[in-house]
Amino acid sequence: MTEKIKAGPFEVLCLTGARCLEDKTVVFVGTGLPMLASLFAQRTWAPNLSLIFEGGSLGPILWMGLPLSVGDIRAGTRACMVKGLCAVFEGQQRGWSDYAFIGGAEIDRYGNINSTCFGEYEKPKVRFPGSGGAGAMAANSDRIIAIMALEKRRFREKVYYITSLGFGDGQPDYRWKAGVHGRGPYRVVTDVALFGFDVGKTNRMTLLEYHPDLSPAKIQERCELELLIAPDVKPMVLPTQEQLKLMVTEVDPERYFLGKTVEA
Amino acid sequence: MDLTKKFADVGIPLGEKADEDKLPYVHVVEGQVPYKSKHRVPSGETNDPQKGLHSDIYKISEVQHHYKERPYVWWGPSPDEARAIKTKENKFLYDKRMKQSDAVKKFIKPGINLGVAGFVNTRCPFSIVWTIVKEALCNKTIQATDLTLSFQSQSLCVEWLLGAMLLDSSRVSVKKVELAWQAFEVIGSGPMWTHCVQSGMIEVDDYTNYGMSVRFKAAYMGIPYVPVRDHGGADFEVTNRGVMTKCPFTGRNVYVLPACHPDVAIAHVTAADMYGNSRIFGQTLTCEEILGAATVGIITCEELISNDAIRNYPNLTLIPFLSVHAVSPQKYGGYPGAVWGYHWFDMDFLREWRATGLELRKAGNMDPLKKYYDKYFYNCDTWEDFLAVIGYKRLAQARELERGQRVILD
Repeated sequence: MTEKIKAGPFEVLCLTGARCLEDKTVVFVGTGLPMLASLFAQRTWAPNLSLIFEGGSLGPILWMGLPLSVGDIRAGTRACMVKGLCAVFEGQQRGWSDYAFIGGAEIDRYGNINSTCFGEYEKPKVRFPGSGGAGAMAANSDRIIAIMALEKRRFREKVYYITSLGFGDGQPDYRWKAGVHGRGPYRVVTDVALFGFDVGKTNRMTLLEYHPDLSPAKIQERCELELLIAPDVKPMVLPTQEQLKLMVTEVDPERYFLGKTVEA
Repeated sequence: MDLTKKFADVGIPLGEKADEDKLPYVHVVEGQVPYKSKHRVPSGETNDPQKGLHSDIYKISEVQHHYKERPYVWWGPSPDEARAIKTKENKFLYDKRMKQSDAVKKFIKPGINLGVAGFVNTRCPFSIVWTIVKEALCNKTIQATDLTLSFQSQSLCVEWLLGAMLLDSSRVSVKKVELAWQAFEVIGSGPMWTHCVQSGMIEVDDYTNYGMSVRFKAAYMGIPYVPVRDHGGADFEVTNRGVMTKCPFTGRNVYVLPACHPDVAIAHVTAADMYGNSRIFGQTLTCEEILGAATVGIITCEELISNDAIRNYPNLTLIPFLSVHAVSPQKYGGYPGAVWGYHWFDMDFLREWRATGLELRKAGNMDPLKKYYDKYFYNCDTWEDFLAVIGYKRLAQARELERGQRVILD
């Protein structure tokens, strides 16, 4: 009898992220955790999921395993088409992409994400890599799924620099005035909670599911921003041993993500 | 502005019959940038970004205004200058093969705007950047100072330039960077980048990956600006050099970005002929746009093929000879990055850099950085010596891990 594989935070992130994806759609995948979740979804219930990677590939089959970069060989192999960055981002503007899967350093109640800097822009206290594709994806894919670990320093009332646009200030016409195409944030996937948005009304982040070891109140404690709680909030589904085995052997065998812990 | 002097500076060969007097479309006033604008507001009534055309970002952002307060300045040639230079170039097929060190000595000058092609660590011009650092820092034959870097997403190439700046800023220095992203994807952040920006050493202009790519595309198209559907409503609108405008046809807000013409662009391609006609297999990234936008294009190629082979399948030519001015065949010119059809990443090499950089950024310890540059730059004469330091086994392993993507060379 083999040992039971432990479902750590990244394993839960992987499953929950994959659960947000629908079969027979197109998802524009960002770097890091989104690649993990998309690969898992493609290997389980969404075999007809077409992936777009910003390096320029449309519909690759990830037979070589987890890409280490959104522009690398594994992200382009056996694709229907590879071109360059302009082609796939323009396709996104045209309307090819149903979902975008992005990460970031911090997020606020309207789903605006910061991946640029903290502190003064000209001489920041902390400088992050920058927008990358996330700023474009948040603007123009039809619906945005954000993925990050749930930490107090990430879920803030206000982010310092809005890199990836969410609902702005929550006004119904903010995105229209911004000139962007997509409908806005759809889900925020974390290791202990799944959030949606009160779209069309307050546009605020709403708790949909929580980790069975915790409770909605405990999730709120871990966020600086004030959450709405969905009336039908329920416990999250955790990965089964079979799913964990798939993750560990096929999705991320080199352990770039799985098996790590999240800072409190 | 004396166009002939600028061409001589740049080093591109001029056409024999180029005649400046017969160019009616370049209007230059001696000593001035041709177009100086208070560019923010269409009606010209006010220069205050709060009152100009924008989405509602200025109402919610706490970020201080940055480039919007200053008159717009082109960091490379302006579109009109770039067009004038291109028109005067030699346009026949001449042999552009040269050693990387010769190309770097000819074209890399202080104060240029350098466009770096490649995406993060995939098919990036590692050997060209290595040669720039080698010639500037170690051999002291060129001065790669006051550089302005333009790229969408880079990683180790830019880190090498920033590290060289920290070792000797009189030989290599980067003053301004316009980018979308700079880090190492799955293994973490870029330590030199974080350190230099947080110390206030570099002026930064942020865009998205699409924003930077389409800026090069606009330059390649010969147009001065391009409308995009992102950046609006986000803090890019507050800090970067783009402008919110009103679409004349739909009446909606649309963000526009200026074209980006680098002085010199560097790229690594799959195969090229000696005139510079190039094929790229795998994701083409933004290579054709960056090389086409720049005044001078320097490429390294995995394979040198014949012009006949190029002419067999002209569809496969992504980069025409008109975008290229120096060709250097260089196997493993994209190592330690990944190159479609040739080799995978050398993740250990990337981790080694990160560890070296983090020692400096977190502990202020310059010794690991000095040892790194001694090992990989000072003690190697050529790129082949650098590869020899890494060793055959690691190169062979990177080749194995590539798993056989196909390229067409005939």
